[in-house]
Amino acid sequence: MVNTATTEQRHTVEVNLGPQHPSTHGVLRLLVELDGEIIVSCRPVIGYLHRGLEKMFEKRSYKQTIPFTDRMDYCASLNGNLAICQAIERLGGLQAPERAQYIRVLLCELNRIASHLVFLATYATDIGATTVFLYAFREREKCLDLMECMTGARLTYNYVRPGGIPQDLPDGFENGLNCFLDDLLKALEENDRLLTGNRIFRGRLEGVGVVSPEMAAAYGASGPVARGSGLNYDVRKTAPYEVYDRLEFDVPVYHTGDCMARYLVRIEEMRQSARIIRQCLKDMPAGEIMCKMPKIFKPPIGQAFSRTESPRGELSFYMVSDGTPNPARVHGRTPSFVHLGMLPAMLPGVKIADVIAILGSLDTVLGEVDR
Amino acid sequence: MNTIQDLFSGFMSFLRGMKITGANLGRDKTTVLYPYEKADVAPRYRGLFVLPFNEANGRLNCTGCTLCIQACPTNVITLTKLGAGKHGGIQDFQMDLGRCMFCNLCVEACPFEAIEMTTQFELASTDRNVCVFPLTSLAQGGAAAAEKNYNTISTALAAEAAEKAAKAAAAGESGGHGAAHAPKEGA
Repeated sequence: MVNTATTEQRHTVEVNLGPQHPSTHGVLRLLVELDGEIIVSCRPVIGYLHRGLEKMFEKRSYKQTIPFTDRMDYCASLNGNLAICQAIERLGGLQAPERAQYIRVLLCELNRIASHLVFLATYATDIGATTVFLYAFREREKCLDLMECMTGARLTYNYVRPGGIPQDLPDGFENGLNCFLDDLLKALEENDRLLTGNRIFRGRLEGVGVVSPEMAAAYGASGPVARGSGLNYDVRKTAPYEVYDRLEFDVPVYHTGDCMARYLVRIEEMRQSARIIRQCLKDMPAGEIMCKMPKIFKPPIGQAFSRTESPRGELSFYMVSDGTPNPARVHGRTPSFVHLGMLPAMLPGVKIADVIAILGSLDTVLGEVDR
Repeated sequence: MNTIQDLFSGFMSFLRGMKITGANLGRDKTTVLYPYEKADVAPRYRGLFVLPFNEANGRLNCTGCTLCIQACPTNVITLTKLGAGKHGGIQDFQMDLGRCMFCNLCVEACPFEAIEMTTQFELASTDRNVCVFPLTSLAQGGAAAAEKNYNTISTALAAEAAEKAAKAAAAGESGGHGAAHAPKEGA
C-alpha cells in the first residue's frame, strides 16, 4: 500500500463517525478518511452543542454565571463552579473561609470520582465490556446520592459561590461518605480483577494511541492525558489552590503514553481522591462557610485568571472586569477542547476500531468542547 | 510453549471475570422500578417551587420586592405587585419553568423566605404551556391561598389608606393651632 505507484489510484473512503454515535459521548462528528481499515486523516467537526456561553456570561452578573458552568463539563460541574468562582474571588479580592475551602475540595474530589466512574463505565462499554458499565454506574449512583444530599442536584450542582459555599454539610453526610468510600475502594479492587487484568481489554489498549511526552507538551495536554504520557503535571501540585497544599496525595504518572496508561491514571486518581476526601473530613475546621459579601458585587477594574485541575485536565477561567456588575469578558480554557485537537495527529495510521478506544481514552465532554 | 502459556493465562483472566460477575449475581438490586416505586429524594433536592403561606398573617410571605427577578439568570419570574410599603404583596407571580435551571439563586436572594423549593421532580410534560406556573399553582395551598393572600393584603391596604385619609383630614382640621405638628406628621 505504501508503494508510490499505487498511491495515485488509492481509493479512500470518507466516513462520518457521529454526530449521533454512542461512542462519541455527545455530539461530536469525526470526518474520517479511510484506506481500507486504516485511517488516513481525521477531522473533528465540533459546534453541535455551541451555546455561546462566553457571551452569555457577559450579559449576566458575576453570581449568575455560575449555573452556566454546570453546563460545560456536566460530568464534573462542581469543578467548573469552583474554577469560575476562583476567578471572581480573585477579581474582587475575596477569600473563602477555611471550612468552605475544605468542603469545596471535598466535593470537587467526590465529583472527580463520579466523573472518572462515568469514564470507566463508558470506556469499558466502548471496548465491549458492558458489565463494567453497570457496576461503575452502581457506584456512581451512591456518589450522586451524596452530592444530591449536599447540593440538592444530581448533575448541575451550582454549589460554589464567590466567597464560600451556600450551605453547610447536612446531617449524616460524613457517615454516608465513609460508607461510599469503603464501597468504592472495594469496587475498584473488583474492577482491577474484572477489567484491568482482562486479556482482551489490555490487548485493545496497550500500545494504542501513543502520545509522546513531547507531543503532549506541544499540544498543551493536561490532566490524565499528560500524566499518562509521563508528564508529572497536576495543577493541584504545581499551583495549589484552596487547601490542596495541606493535603497529602500522590499524582499517578505512567510513562507508556498509550490508552492503557490514561486509563490507569484515572483509576489511580479515584483512589487518591478517596484519600483526599478522608483527610478533608478529618482536618475540616468548624466555622463560617461564607465571607462577607456586598449586596451588589462590583469588583474593581482589572483581570483575573484561575487554574484548577478538573477530572479532564486543567480548567481555567480568564475574567475581565470593567467595574460594572457584569463581567466584561470571560474565557474558559477547557481541557476537552485541547485534547480533541490532538486527534488529527493521533489517528492517522491506526485501525478504525481503535478510533473509539483512542477517543474514549481522551475522555472528552462535548459540553466543554463547544461551550 | 509460550503460546500455550499465553492461552492459559488469557483463559484464566476470563474465568476471573466470570467469577466476579457470578458473585454480583447474588447482590441486592440497586435499581427501582420507577413509575411504580420511587426512590427517596434528598430533603435539599431542588424541585418545583412553592411560595409558603403564612398562616399567622393570612398571606404569602412575598412582598413583591423583585430581588428574585434580579437574581434569576434566565428571566423565569414575572410578578404583578399589589400595593407597596408595609403591606405590599403580590397579585400574580408567574414562573416559566421551561426556562428554569433550578439553580437556587432566587431562593438564596429572597430575604423573606417567600420562595422555596420542594422535592417534587415530576415536571415533564408534552406541552410548553404546562411549564408556565401561575400563582394559583405555586402558592402553598393553591388557589385558595392565593385568594386569601389577595383579600388579606387588599383589606390591609384599604385600612391603611383609610387611616391615612383620616389622619390627613385630622391634620387639615387642626391645621390652625397645630402648625408645629403638621410637618412632623407629613414626614
